[in-house]
Amino acid sequence: MTPLSNQAFVDHLTASVQFVLPEVALVGVACLLFLVAALRCSRPLAMVVALLGVVGAGVIAALVPEPVGRFEPSLAPIDPTGAASFVRWLALVAAAVYVLLGWADTRTDTPAEYHACLLVAAAGVSLVGRANDLVSLFLALEMLSIPTYVLLYLPSRTRAGQESAMKYFLLSVLSSAVLLFGFSYLYGLAGSTNLHVVVSSLAAAAPHKDLDPAVSPLAAVAMVLVIAGLGFRVAAVPFHFYAPDVYEGGPTGVVAQLAFLPKVAGFVALARLLGVMSAHGGGLPYDTAHTLIPLTLWVVAVVTMSFGNLLALLQDNLKRLFAYSGIAHGGYMLIGVLVACTAPPASADQSGSDALLFYLLAYGLMTVGAFAVLAHLSGPDRHVETVDDLAGLGKTNPLAAAALAVCLFSLIGLPLTAGFVGKLQLFLAAFQVPTDTKMKSLFQVLTVIAVVNAAVSAVYYLRILGVLYLRAPFKPAQPTRTSPQLVAAVACAAATLVLGVYPQPFAEQTRKAAPVVAAR
Amino acid sequence: MPDLSTPIGLSLIVVALPLVGCLLAALCHVGRAVKLAHLPVIVSFASAAAIACYVLYAVSGQSGDLIQTASLGTWFSSGRLSVPLAFQLDPLSAVMLAMVTFIATFIAIFSASYMHGEAGYARYFAFIALFVFAMCLLVTANNFFVLVAGWEGVGLCSYLLVGYYYAKPSAAAAARKAFLVTRLGDVGLILGIFLLWKAGGYQTNIDAVIRHIAEHPPGDGYMTAACLLLFCGAVGKSAQLPLYVWLPDAMEGPTPVSALIHAATMVTAGVYLLARTAPLFVMSPTAQVVVTIIGGATAVLAAFIALAQYDLKRVLAYSTVSQLGFMFMALGCGAAISPTIAVTAALFHLLTHAFFKALLFLGSGSVMHAMGNVIDMRKFGGLRKLMPTTHWTFLIGSLALAGFPLLSGFWSKDRILHALSEAGYSRSEFHYLYQAVFYTACLTALLTAFYTFRAYFLTFWGEERVPPEAHGHAHESPRTMTIPLVVLAVGAVFVGIIADPLTHWFDHLLERAPVLHQANEAFTKTTNLKVGEHHFDWGVAGLSTLIAVAGIGAAAAVYRRGGPERVPGPLRGIFALSANKAYVDEIYGATVVLPAETAATGGRQLDGFLDALARLVSFVPRFAAAVLRPLQNGLVQFYALGMVLGLAVFITVVVFRSVR
Repeated sequence: MTPLSNQAFVDHLTASVQFVLPEVALVGVACLLFLVAALRCSRPLAMVVALLGVVGAGVIAALVPEPVGRFEPSLAPIDPTGAASFVRWLALVAAAVYVLLGWADTRTDTPAEYHACLLVAAAGVSLVGRANDLVSLFLALEMLSIPTYVLLYLPSRTRAGQESAMKYFLLSVLSSAVLLFGFSYLYGLAGSTNLHVVVSSLAAAAPHKDLDPAVSPLAAVAMVLVIAGLGFRVAAVPFHFYAPDVYEGGPTGVVAQLAFLPKVAGFVALARLLGVMSAHGGGLPYDTAHTLIPLTLWVVAVVTMSFGNLLALLQDNLKRLFAYSGIAHGGYMLIGVLVACTAPPASADQSGSDALLFYLLAYGLMTVGAFAVLAHLSGPDRHVETVDDLAGLGKTNPLAAAALAVCLFSLIGLPLTAGFVGKLQLFLAAFQVPTDTKMKSLFQVLTVIAVVNAAVSAVYYLRILGVLYLRAPFKPAQPTRTSPQLVAAVACAAATLVLGVYPQPFAEQTRKAAPVVAAR
Repeated sequence: MPDLSTPIGLSLIVVALPLVGCLLAALCHVGRAVKLAHLPVIVSFASAAAIACYVLYAVSGQSGDLIQTASLGTWFSSGRLSVPLAFQLDPLSAVMLAMVTFIATFIAIFSASYMHGEAGYARYFAFIALFVFAMCLLVTANNFFVLVAGWEGVGLCSYLLVGYYYAKPSAAAAARKAFLVTRLGDVGLILGIFLLWKAGGYQTNIDAVIRHIAEHPPGDGYMTAACLLLFCGAVGKSAQLPLYVWLPDAMEGPTPVSALIHAATMVTAGVYLLARTAPLFVMSPTAQVVVTIIGGATAVLAAFIALAQYDLKRVLAYSTVSQLGFMFMALGCGAAISPTIAVTAALFHLLTHAFFKALLFLGSGSVMHAMGNVIDMRKFGGLRKLMPTTHWTFLIGSLALAGFPLLSGFWSKDRILHALSEAGYSRSEFHYLYQAVFYTACLTALLTAFYTFRAYFLTFWGEERVPPEAHGHAHESPRTMTIPLVVLAVGAVFVGIIADPLTHWFDHLLERAPVLHQANEAFTKTTNLKVGEHHFDWGVAGLSTLIAVAGIGAAAAVYRRGGPERVPGPLRGIFALSANKAYVDEIYGATVVLPAETAATGGRQLDGFLDALARLVSFVPRFAAAVLRPLQNGLVQFYALGMVLGLAVFITVVVFRSVR
């Protein structure tokens, strides 16, 4: 029986459109922008249209009710439960911030195309959160990747810009191929492309605690391929090579996207494929009953955070520094994936996936905030490239310096900032995992390694802070002008503080978005 | 969110108003309207005081259960620890709230003239508004952590205000001392709170913890430890032995700040804390007797030191320490006689003391204002004709402090002495200790009357002398400064007699506080005694009258003709001992600071060694990074190779391990 002859399946396929209305709106506005681009669209107009598109999508998301009751997880290609709406709001808010940031990158003649690509990418991220089918998941991931190739190329047609766009394109295609290879294994094993069916059948076939047959090698290989493919998106070592080079050559606004959007998509997709962040109760397919996949993730997490932090120590170039810092933070977030997807939950309100979602939010705010400051400071006549270019910013540009300082404090993880709460939740989740599984006390060891890494990372962030406030300015002070980028930076910094001082409501949202999957 | 028209809602408004005042004053600082900075603060204090008085009236008119609680949501939570933003209003809080805002209003009015033309005028008003906000938060908190927020806020503001003249080294040192010394106590407070959190079923709301502990009492030792740790916090904040040393130095700040610290905010926090947790203290008679003994020792020592000080403000500062000692003496009687009598006596003294001590400090501020910031009593004298209003109000304050009959201080001190004498004859196992403390208290009362009037006579009697710093402008202070003096003087005369012996309003109000009910229940449970009632004791009243008159008389005999100091030969040694503050600072220096400095020197040597070690360790990451760096060579084909090789390694390992 082919899927098409199954009437229920066809019904669900056609009904799915009501779960993706905001994304449809985003892509629709993007198409409009592409059309307008042919007629020479001015920079403010493109920005306003894009912002209106994002707001419109937000209005639709907030007001149009989703008939969640009619959703059947084993048939529908779109899953509106679990983390879906959290990821959607994350993508929409991020899109709004990026539109503001784009002001710096759209001085060239292509502002409309720039914003259109941006909206499509945001729609892709949002779709990753709700894809319930290997095909729709892959499409959503590509909806994020393909506009990014264009975005990297559009604003800066210098040699360095072209080089970074090309590098990203080649390596991204390679990783997509690996991911697709892994998906084909999963389809072969489960006989279905439906994510729910894939996860439940893997969970049903996986070995139990009491008997100990080997996990099917194919299932393990499939997951390693998936981890490798998505590892590129979250810049996990050894799939991170592109990050420093691409960040250095790319336009600042796009790099800010590159630092955050693929991470959201990659981590959410990984978590979904490993069986969490949606409402189904099929159990975890790769739990600690067998240590293969947990150990793989463990090793990747440790190597990623250590590698990122070590290499950031030596960087003088700001964008490369933030690239390595992003790699390191990806390592911390892998702890969340590892705990959520493999360990039996220690308690009903501590699952690891809520910590991961919270950290994604916190990381987005502080990193995008930092990039926004860099975008604000760079202009046609002044490039902020190295750490020394920030010297004395505290005197010449107090507001921008303060915003950057807040973001840096948060990246270090000092109390009263979002970074502190996020790290605390992640590390606690790992530390509280029971030690009676086959992983023994490896989770606790991981926590210790992560804490040491956080301490090492303070060195290079504090170095920037020292340069900001303690050194005399090199270049004469520029008259401070308010720009959309500065607005974005201040908003991110303020949100970082709010999240750090009063995290409760956000933590509740992440808890709601990440239902605990019961152990088998 | 509670209904804002209910008393609890109104009390939340009272808490919020000073914060609004603070923000507006800060805006004045930024917005170049510095000269107007006093307006938002005075208005917010005055309206807060009006609302607080109405709340007090509403609470005392209520029947039934006199506690209302409200929660503004969860502040933060993690694991077992959940901290709601919980507030409560009961007679205790209502009295404190009304007292704090009322006194603060007049201090703010006084400050507007006193601080006129100072640099940082707006900063000053923003800080005192924040100070009052923190204090209001403290007395309305129904959660230990919210209470700590207010508690630390008070500590922070005291640091900022004592160090108001931060360019002056002595002021900066005093601010640091105030902050660090109270911090020592705060450590105890936090530890105590966590002990109570554990014993109280992992709750943090004060009423819930008390209820839980009443139902599931932990061991005696546990309660004693928890109570003594809480008391540590109170010792720091309320300046008791051994941590009182910060308070006399704290008058380096502007004089109205001293009035605020000594009368309304800050030092009363410790007394309030012990009253609020009275049901817990009742369960530990040992902790209670420690409280009494510390209070007694502090009272007599501070009174002794006050005898020979030349600095008018310093005399008053030591008298505050001594009077706080009185309050703690009373609080400690709870487990021997009855928590109601003990707590009522302490809080009554707190209330009357707030009036007359604020009055005395503002009076000394008025003197200082006229004398060109000179406060040494050797340099001026005979001011009673020059500053008549200040003189009369100061006299009233002094009489109240000395416990002269019918003034407010008399009634409240009398109740404390009465509580102590009752405790001395109670069936408590510590009754002989209470007896000793009773005699100490009588001696302290005598000393109090003497030193108060010594200061009064030296300042206002004898021939008129004005220091050169006054530049011939020595005159009575302006209306805006004398009116607060008059208002507070009226309070110092009448608050005591109206609130207690005439109407018994204060008694009736406080004895209906649920926290005292709980304390009484715990009291009958632990001691099997009936809860006693307060009654006026003519014997004690007569004794205290005698003491007050004797002290004033002795001071009049020696100092009636004003300065200079005349010390009879045989007493010179004792006088020197008192003038040098009983060498307490020197003793602390030798026993605490010196060993600490020695240890610090040793630590510094060790630090140098560790530093070298750390440099060695910090070299490791850089070395590793330098080794890894060539991997990032910029060649895209190499990157692809790296990715694929990495994938190959993972797959190989996985396949081999799962096949084996």
